[in-house]
Amino acid sequence: MNQERFISQVREQQEPLRRFLLALCGGDSALADDIAQDALVRAYVASGSFLGLSKFSTWLFRIAYNCYIDHCRKARPDQTSLDSAVTLPASETSDASFRYQQLYQALERIPEKEKAAIALFYFEDKSIKEISAILNMPQGTVKYQLSMGRNHLKQYIQL
Amino acid sequence: MKEIEDFLRENKPVVKDNPTFILEARRRMEAVEGIKAEVDRQRCYGRMALIIALVAGLVLGIAATAIAFLYPIDADSVGKGVLDSIRLFLTTWKQYLLLPVALLAIALSLVLMSGKRGKSTF
Repeated sequence: MNQERFISQVREQQEPLRRFLLALCGGDSALADDIAQDALVRAYVASGSFLGLSKFSTWLFRIAYNCYIDHCRKARPDQTSLDSAVTLPASETSDASFRYQQLYQALERIPEKEKAAIALFYFEDKSIKEISAILNMPQGTVKYQLSMGRNHLKQYIQL
Repeated sequence: MKEIEDFLRENKPVVKDNPTFILEARRRMEAVEGIKAEVDRQRCYGRMALIIALVAGLVLGIAATAIAFLYPIDADSVGKGVLDSIRLFLTTWKQYLLLPVALLAIALSLVLMSGKRGKSTF
């Protein structure tokens, strides 16, 4: 795959990719974009190994998810809690931003795999089969992660 | 459960417009291309050096073999001459040669002893 073709594929996928990473990073758009850039470099370097057996987006999301996991492993020692970072009084924010704040805080509290499954299924409208390929887990496990994720989110989100 | 599903579908995270994202991606890809080209160039140099060394070795080997065949020498006479000269050198200078050998032996024993003492203190 040459550079121009790769860029044109990335152009189509950049928004979903950044949104997925934004959900994983708890609303930190700068961090999400950094991880997305790293993922694109890794994908570009490995683009020769992409045989087209799966969708380009599935392959790219899988690389991005692996980059995110690598980032989490590196950042773990000095990880700061998002609870304190984005806690703002509801009266001072708009209704929509309050909902996002609530969503990101809730997503930060659930395990990584559940968060990724929820983000891919509800935000990116990916099928269970695609999520299974991206997260490298069986389809049954994806359904279990989604179910657990929903249950956990229900505890943290006030509807 | 339906409520939480609706909440998630209605509140998809919104990505801020970032016009520099693709430009940055392109810049990084150019950098990757630069690194790839440099690695290829280094690999090419390495391969060329290997080929040159191989050819030089072959040429020198052939030349040495050719000289050996064209100008044969009596190996025994050369060997004897060298051994005789070494024996003569040792017999003439043996008293002066023993002095540095003895000094080296003393220095070595001192170093070994100090090493043992150092180890025992820890």
